[in-house]
Amino acid sequence: MTDISYLLLVMLVMTVATYATRLTPFVLFSRGQERALINFIAKNTPPMIMTILVIYMLKGVNYLSFEGVYTFIALLVTVVFHLYKRNALLSIIAGTTVYMVAVQM
Amino acid sequence: MIRSVIKTTLPILFGFLPLGIAFGILFQELGYPWYFATLMGICVYAGAAQFMAVGMLGAGVGLFEIAISTFFLNSRDLFYGLALLNSFGAWGLRKFYLIFGLTDETYALMTTLTVPKEFNRERYYFLMTLFSQCYWVLGCSIGALASSSLDFNTEGMDFAATALFTVLLIEQWLKVRKPLPFVVAFVSSCIALILFFQHMLLAAIVLSITTIIILRFIKSKQND
Repeated sequence: MTDISYLLLVMLVMTVATYATRLTPFVLFSRGQERALINFIAKNTPPMIMTILVIYMLKGVNYLSFEGVYTFIALLVTVVFHLYKRNALLSIIAGTTVYMVAVQM
Repeated sequence: MIRSVIKTTLPILFGFLPLGIAFGILFQELGYPWYFATLMGICVYAGAAQFMAVGMLGAGVGLFEIAISTFFLNSRDLFYGLALLNSFGAWGLRKFYLIFGLTDETYALMTTLTVPKEFNRERYYFLMTLFSQCYWVLGCSIGALASSSLDFNTEGMDFAATALFTVLLIEQWLKVRKPLPFVVAFVSSCIALILFFQHMLLAAIVLSITTIIILRFIKSKQND
């Protein structure tokens, strides 16, 4: 079942749908109306979304298995490294390496 | 500038490459030629939606349903743009591309890290976006092309995304230093997890933004 025209249409539709979600706010708020509220939202969304993204990444983990323990340790390594050195790349590499070694053991 | 951008986006490489490879492997099982995985990475460029598409392509789902599902799956991007309205410079091809390439990962980096003073911000963002997409397209292609002969075990590499968001969360805290948005987001996430486990991400974003607007409204009423 390799219908190329169906695949191409699906891709086209998905490209437009994805782009629409990304473009909409820029088109809607390009003329500076409701500035105060938009600025308030703009200022508060990054800390909120970062919190949500972290929880989202952790929601699929099975905390009653080794996966949960490995995730906890790798997170701890990431946080400790970051608070100690404040080098984003170093913290991420350290945490990810610990996690990869743990799950591949 | 290129060296600095590569260093900044390296965590995205670690996140996108294994995820792209996973997508390529799944996609290739549908029986299409490998370069369609590449094409999808280039023109759709949305991780979760591409994984969803594999299932839908396999089932031969209708175009309308695919369009709606893609839109809702990516609708968190509606809120991402709000924080970057003034960061992408004047309208032009570059801005259209920056918006096209706005993903969880680039959004997180752009709103948290400060571009080094010596570089032009929009050009820096452009290269960040371009490189990130290259990592993704590379991953999709490798996965579809070499799924059977892949030697390197990437299992667990996807933890890079979790680590990236965790680091950026710490950076946000050091920057904002007010507990309110973090608490609101945490509570919203817990509620969203209980009520909408599958669609937790969007539900939590909508809930937290609504909550913080209501809180602001109440506060301004009290001040009157």
